[in-house]
Amino acid sequence: MTPSATPSAYTPAPERRFNVGDCVRVRSAHPPGHRRTPAYIRGKKGEIERVCGRFPNPEELAYGFDGEPRRVLYRVRFRQSDVWPAYESPSEDFVEMEIYEHWLEPA
Amino acid sequence: MSHDHRHDPAKDEGPPSEHEILSRALQELLEEKGVLTAEQVRKRMELFEAEFPQRGARVIAHAWANPAFMKRLLADGKAACAESGLDLEADRLIAVENTPRVHNVIVCTLCSCYPRALLGMPPTWYKSENYRRRVVREPRAVLREFGTVIPDDVSIRVHDSNADMRYVVVPMRPKGTEGWDEEQLASILTRDTLVGVALPKV
Amino acid sequence: MNRNPADIGGEAAGPIDTVDHGMKFWEKQANALRNTLTSGKVVRLDELRRAAEELGDRYYRLGYFERTTEAVRNLLLEKGLFTRSELEGKIKEIRGRYDS
Repeated sequence: MTPSATPSAYTPAPERRFNVGDCVRVRSAHPPGHRRTPAYIRGKKGEIERVCGRFPNPEELAYGFDGEPRRVLYRVRFRQSDVWPAYESPSEDFVEMEIYEHWLEPA
Repeated sequence: MSHDHRHDPAKDEGPPSEHEILSRALQELLEEKGVLTAEQVRKRMELFEAEFPQRGARVIAHAWANPAFMKRLLADGKAACAESGLDLEADRLIAVENTPRVHNVIVCTLCSCYPRALLGMPPTWYKSENYRRRVVREPRAVLREFGTVIPDDVSIRVHDSNADMRYVVVPMRPKGTEGWDEEQLASILTRDTLVGVALPKV
Repeated sequence: MNRNPADIGGEAAGPIDTVDHGMKFWEKQANALRNTLTSGKVVRLDELRRAAEELGDRYYRLGYFERTTEAVRNLLLEKGLFTRSELEGKIKEIRGRYDS
């Protein structure tokens, strides 16, 4: 069954570099063009929350390419206190998002 | 050959804006080129209007009523919806559960990604620049603007739907709903509770 | 350095208008048009997002559906589904219906 036919939120990614629980850092790169890694999270340190699978690269799809080969997509959890200077909250808050593997390095 | 829509009276008040005319022009040109039909567009409008908006509450109510389904929903939202006969189309779905220690809220800072096939169209505030700017940075203050106060001992998780996943919040089932059927449960699961800016009220 | 006008998470901003103002009829039609194009794989969602980001400063001056409509137009012109003069002709024709 091809990934697009599977009614699931996830696709397999056995060749992935990272696993759940790994500490990662988002690259501090600022390439021009269409990116789905928000500026506010670049350079920040977080933890792999889950592996979403492999998807065509949106940075390529945006310009009419087929986005192959697929890239591994992760959900990464960040402590808000690690993301914003002077983040104030009575309890530990988090911001979580999906980051493609090529935007991550081990922390 | 005449098409109905060319003779529709304006459905919005006042003369059409430049963008309304542009949108109509795009559609008619595409119809003439055989790229799509008026019927296809009409069918999508129907889905967004009548079908999509009622699905979310029904799915979450079913999860409240059925712990085994809840487990499957939390493990894989799209597969659980498919099991209920709901085709979420392109959307991949992650359901995030509120607990006594955790409150979830959804945003798409980069545009307006939203589980449309489950909840219908996003509200104007969700697409607004100020929500997109602020909720990732000061969620408690933003939730207060919606009249929602999260207790001090509850941690907030903001989910920025920036790639291929879409999100729905599974609120905590309030006290006072014991013995309710799924229709009653669905009635308190408003759209705002499923995005995380409100809590269900009995 | 932030070249993408859509990349606004974390910026300082004022109060949020928490009322849902819904959609006008033309906006529902514009939304359905966009959705028909993506589900028909005529355009990809990623291309539409990129086209919206390429609006640059205009991004902030337009309402949500105005933005998405201009993005659809620019993308379809880019893909050559019609020419600029065909579009201008069609716009003129539609304006004519309202003026009469």
